[in-house]
Amino acid sequence: MRSLKTAALLAVAAMTLAACGSGGDAAEGDGKVKLRFSYWGSDARQKLTEQVIAAFEKKNPTIDVVGEFSDWPSYYESLATKVAANDAPDVMTLEIRGLAEYGGRGALADLAGKVNVADLDQQVLSTGNFDGKQYAIPTGVNVMGMIVNKAALDKAGEELPDDKTWTWDDYIKLSEKITKAGDGSTFGTEYTFNQVYLSMFAAQRGEKFYNNGKIGITPETIKAWWANFDQLIKTKGSPDAAKMAEIAAAGVEQSLIGTNKGVFGMWWSNQLGTLSKVSGSELTLLRLPKAEGASSHGMFLQPAMHWTASSKTEHPAEAQKFIDYLVNDPEAAGILLSDRGLPINSKVLAAVKDKLPPADQQSLTFVDSIKSELATAEVPPKGGSKMEDIVRRYSEAVTSGQQSADEAATKLLEEANAAIAG
Amino acid sequence: MVDSLSLKSEVAAPAPAPAPKRGRGRPRPSVRSRREGWAAYVFLIPWFLGLFLITIGPIVASLYLSFTDYSLLDEAKWVGLDNYVKMFTEDPRFWASLKVTTIYVVVSVPLQLGFALALALLLDRGLRGLSFYRSIYYLPSLLGGSVAIAILWRKIFGADGLVNAVLAIFGIQGTSYVNNPDTALSTLILLHVWTFGAPMVIFLAGLRQIPSSYYEAASIDGAGVVQQFKSVTLPLLTPIIFFNLVLEVIKSFQSFTQSFIVSNGTGGPSDSTLFYTLYLYSKGFKEYEMGYASAMAWVLVIIIAGLTGVNFLASKYWVFYGDDSK
Repeated sequence: MRSLKTAALLAVAAMTLAACGSGGDAAEGDGKVKLRFSYWGSDARQKLTEQVIAAFEKKNPTIDVVGEFSDWPSYYESLATKVAANDAPDVMTLEIRGLAEYGGRGALADLAGKVNVADLDQQVLSTGNFDGKQYAIPTGVNVMGMIVNKAALDKAGEELPDDKTWTWDDYIKLSEKITKAGDGSTFGTEYTFNQVYLSMFAAQRGEKFYNNGKIGITPETIKAWWANFDQLIKTKGSPDAAKMAEIAAAGVEQSLIGTNKGVFGMWWSNQLGTLSKVSGSELTLLRLPKAEGASSHGMFLQPAMHWTASSKTEHPAEAQKFIDYLVNDPEAAGILLSDRGLPINSKVLAAVKDKLPPADQQSLTFVDSIKSELATAEVPPKGGSKMEDIVRRYSEAVTSGQQSADEAATKLLEEANAAIAG
Repeated sequence: MVDSLSLKSEVAAPAPAPAPKRGRGRPRPSVRSRREGWAAYVFLIPWFLGLFLITIGPIVASLYLSFTDYSLLDEAKWVGLDNYVKMFTEDPRFWASLKVTTIYVVVSVPLQLGFALALALLLDRGLRGLSFYRSIYYLPSLLGGSVAIAILWRKIFGADGLVNAVLAIFGIQGTSYVNNPDTALSTLILLHVWTFGAPMVIFLAGLRQIPSSYYEAASIDGAGVVQQFKSVTLPLLTPIIFFNLVLEVIKSFQSFTQSFIVSNGTGGPSDSTLFYTLYLYSKGFKEYEMGYASAMAWVLVIIIAGLTGVNFLASKYWVFYGDDSK
């Protein structure tokens, strides 16, 4: 009896230990190669991605792709933890700000010559290049432009402005008029503190956000940018700072355009689909307003996301094959469509063009019509992922009257320069 | 089976046996109890594993990491005291987060304890259905730290939230309280005060400990309700107040969820709700500065240990344990 009991106890202990030590299996029993693939997004994207994984596995029966899905706010947190634990997924989705953080620290594999990029837009492809290495392949492109809710505009009795010539002043004045025309529940515009907006605003004034390892924006530009928000808030062209912060935090579906309570808003072109759906109204895309006398609108093609492979992967060949499939196979694009931006592979795009939903056809037409004006996104340096937070924080302080614009602009530049210096 | 049965009968059996001999040192454990001790350790293995792997291991690791530059994505590089120096000399957000957290603790803890004590006194009046009220008031303590309540809070104090709906009846137009830097922290303080249930239950237990004869004696001496509270209740309750104070100061210094959810993880608007732990978290996981975050964690340990130490030292002057001979 005694020995029986001892044996039982040992078994329990062994089981506990075994439970702690499981995992880390490279190949499964059935001889398939297990490929881990991390990405973020909405439920809709998860469904599409599962479909594309299934289609890939059908073509490649020896590879078992395991999707590791998370929502956007916690994506980088969990990915960084996995990389730190030497447990990086084989194929990782990053966006342009993550490129330098991961690639610059040796976490990514160089994909040059490993994935067929012959049919890709070479200009956009360069946004996956960091330190001379092709760490990433863009999934597709977006443009941030001014989205207009035409139904709300008509209701206010205003005409669609000519986006080739309109200035920031025109935009602010028109917003004020629209708000005044309504009963107080509809606003001319909503605004965003998106760092991309500041980049474009600065580009119109001939300044680059990143310039030779430093922030290339002048304090005057930042202050002029903030002055626009102040003007909008003061003239009630937009909601007040606190209300606007609330709307911004609530996301696309709850936006003013989405709820038909606002006419203008700056959004990525791939958000046109969601905005059209939730508002049920006719929306249109415009170029951004320009600074007085500026030669360009400062707009650019932004890669929506990047496909990357871990430098520590045990299955580089399979990882490359999967990425190749995602960017080059019309079958994959036929499923994903424009969910990760408009395809940059000319052959793939030609094949799926007619399948795109109306909103995406619309943004494709828009992007094509202004293509010659568009610059290419720059890859932010290491530390660039802090920028969004820095810009948002000081903008909040200024619009809510916590800090003077002069002081905030100086501090913003100080902090931003320190962030990319380290 | 036989074994456990015999064990039971041993425990249950009345003890006519002589009292344990008071020899020198402890009585030597019998072979049997030594064997049972061994069994106990085997059963405790999962707990020990947890303690060492999940608690002590990471604590030691974070002490090491606090002296390194560690991005999570590549190897940690030893930098000595750099993180600590940087924190105290060139990081205004560190001070900002410390300020926000201190205001939060200093305002919300006394309010919460005062509220808890007041309600405990009310409930102690021998109310009917006491256990019902006790549960109702305790509920927020269970929920207060949860994600759901934080989201609810965001809605209640939003621009179109409940608070503004009520104010609108009186013709007052409110703002979005959680998104206004002037009011955002106050909403979190309110949330903390609302979770008064836990200290209240402890106060209730403390009030029950005070012998009613003291009150009888006091009323014979002509003391009114206020005088009784001041001279009997309060002094005898000081150990409980002290206990609650220490506990709540530690707990609220480590607050995280409320701010994380209400501000969408930003500590905004413009850092007005940037709790210390939230800043630590964003340094570690969002800005790829895990070494710095580890250093912040150790500074927090020292701060909390210091505050608790001060609390204990100060307690000599105001906490009254009944058996004081002084």
